[in-house]
Parts: sequence; structure tokens; C-alpha cells
Amino acid sequence: MNDAISHYLARFKTSLYINPSTKESAARELYAHLQDKSRELREEGFDEEEAEKLAIEALGPPESIAKEIYETHAQGNWQESLFAALPHLMIALLFVSYYWQNIFCLSIALIMVIGVTIYGWHQGKPPWLMPWLGYYLLPVIVSAILLIYLSKGWEWLAALIYTPLALFVVIYIAGQVARQDRLYASLMLAPLPVVFSWLLSLGTGEEFVRGNISILHLEAKVPWVVISFLVLAVATATLIRLKQRQHKIAILLIPSIAIPLAVVLTGGLNPDFWSWFLLTLSLCAFVSPFWIHPAKRSLLHKG
Amino acid sequence: MDYVRELLKGNTDSLLLSLINYQPMYGYQLIKELRKRSNGYFKFKEGTLYPALHRLEKDKLIQGKWQSLPNGQQRRYYYITPKGQQALAKRQVTWQDFSTAVKAIIQPEIS
Repeated sequence: MNDAISHYLARFKTSLYINPSTKESAARELYAHLQDKSRELREEGFDEEEAEKLAIEALGPPESIAKEIYETHAQGNWQESLFAALPHLMIALLFVSYYWQNIFCLSIALIMVIGVTIYGWHQGKPPWLMPWLGYYLLPVIVSAILLIYLSKGWEWLAALIYTPLALFVVIYIAGQVARQDRLYASLMLAPLPVVFSWLLSLGTGEEFVRGNISILHLEAKVPWVVISFLVLAVATATLIRLKQRQHKIAILLIPSIAIPLAVVLTGGLNPDFWSWFLLTLSLCAFVSPFWIHPAKRSLLHKG
Repeated sequence: MDYVRELLKGNTDSLLLSLINYQPMYGYQLIKELRKRSNGYFKFKEGTLYPALHRLEKDKLIQGKWQSLPNGQQRRYYYITPKGQQALAKRQVTWQDFSTAVKAIIQPEIS
């Protein structure tokens, strides 16, 4: 492939945030188009380099084509947006009905999360899956943190094995999702800072990591917890329905940062090291997919 | 010129469906066919074709299939679906009614 065409297609692929197989197919189609067009131009008497340059110019900026194709694929229907918001609504419903203290109801919710996640993963990781996937990973992350401090005697061996394994699983899944779109990886991790800010509001950060907090203390905060998950649900549903990427990013970032900030500003968070460390860590994890440079992302694709 | 572009933009899907209904075509062929059949009147911006094809495929009005040519080159041919044929039939009726109504007002002496 000529340098100019391969550079053009690389720019196209870097700007297109859709399913990798659809992206590859779209790039192949543009390549076929450029081949046809430059062949015709060569037949008209242009030299190879000039023909390819003109073919590229006629097709237009690859970023514009990528943006328009993205907007076609990025907008989900109402059913998809409702399904994406459902896990947040389910958490809000558990709290509003006070069934969050009921082991049976929590188990049903957990089974639903596991079932939907496995189904969605095998359906090609559609955007509606991301919030479900986030709640699926949440117990894995929390138990990894708790295991570090709770293990005594030989149990530290379990922590030594489990914690890196949990970290690997979370990073692997986030990486798989980010291959499709970094935005979806953040959508997946969006419940993390919200859940952590509420959990950390139950006591000091050290009490949390030592497992000395009682989730029953959330009772006094139930209306605010419900509101925060409802806000997350509305933001998620809106994100799925939006077409433009900048709007999607804004609708995701605002509530996921504003809710922990509101908990901090209303004095809900204890000003100790562990509280700040864990909250910052969860926020960093949430925004981390955006730190991956597009060039590194395309390298990951090749890998 | 902008008026023509706006008209073309609003009717891109119908034009593409009509061509694909005539015979399965690939992207570059669609552009050439559009130019040829309109005697050069429709100069389609090449880059806008592929997002339109993706949109029609997402709406299940057309279906793309990769095919290999004897020379090894691969092309994605688009086929119209039954849903696409129904949508095209509706659009053709709407277009006829619209164009008759526009003619009746713009060129009353002819109609």
C-alpha cells in the first residue's frame, strides 16, 4: 500500500470509535475506493503519485468521514438507552424500597447483573452492556481492596494471588472495551466513583479498608443515594441516545464527577488519607481510558 | 449551487436505494452511476457516500457483502433488502406527489 493511502487510512481508523470489525471493513472499503479512483486517474494519464493524491483529495478529510460514520453507529434506540440505564435504576429502586438490606433481593440483583453481563459480552459488547459490566466488576474491585487489609496469618497469600488477579481482570476487560471505544470503558467505570464516595462517607477511609464500616449507616442518606443513581441513569440513557461524541463525553463526565464532589462538599467524606486516596483512585480509573493516546490505541488494535 | 446541494442532500438515500434496487453496486460504482445517469448534474461529494451507506445498512434497507474479484481486489457490494424495497416504493410515491405539487405551483401553465 502506498504511503499516502496508508497514512490516510490510519488517520481514518484513529478517528473512528466503533466496533473494530466494522471499522476494519469501513477502512477496507475506502481503500477499494481509492484503488478504483487512482486506477482511473492513471488511465487518464496521471502518474501514480499524482493519481493517489487526487483520489485522496476527492474523498475528503478522513476525520469528517469517520465522524459521520461514528454518528450513524453511535446513536442507540430508546430500548437500548433504557436497558443501559436499568442497572442504575435497579440500584435506586433497591434503596428507595429499602430492599437493599434484604439478602434475597440483593442476590436477585446480582444474578441479573451476572446474567445480563455474560449475555451482552457474547453479543459483541454492545454499548448498553457497559453499566452492567461496571456493576459486575465492582464487587471484584471492592473485595480486592478489602482482602489486602483483612487477611491475617497465611491468608495474606490469598490476597497476594487474588488482588493482582482482580486488577488484571479489571484492566483486561477495560482494555477490551476501550478497543471498541474509550468512552465505553469510562461508561463502564462510571459507577465506581459514585459508589466509592457513598461507601467512604460511612466512616474514615481506614475504617473502610479494614472492613469496619456498616452499610446500614447509609439509611440516613437514602434519598441522596437514590437521587445520585437516578442522575447516573438519566445521564447513561441520554449518552446512548446522543449522536455527537463531545456531547456524550460531557454527559458522562458531569454527573460522575459532580456526585462525588457533592458528597465531599457536603461534608460526607472524612478528610483522611485513605478516603482521599481511594476516591482519587476511583476517579482516575474512571477517566483513565481517555488518557490512552489514539496512537497507542491503534497499536493496541494491531496487537 | 447550494440549493442543488441541499436538494441532493435531502434525497441521497432515495437516489442510492434506487440505484442499488436496479442492481447490486459497490461504493465507487454508485458515484459513477449517479454522475452518468444524471448526465453529470449530480456531483456527489465522494466522502459523504460511505456514511450514507452505513446509515442505510444500519436501518436494514440495504446489506453489504464483500466479494473478491478475479484480480484479487475486494469490493463491498450493496444489495437492497425487502425492507429497503418497501421504503423505496413509499419514497417514489411521495416524490411523485411532491414533484407534481411543486410543478403545479412553480410552472402552473405547464401543468
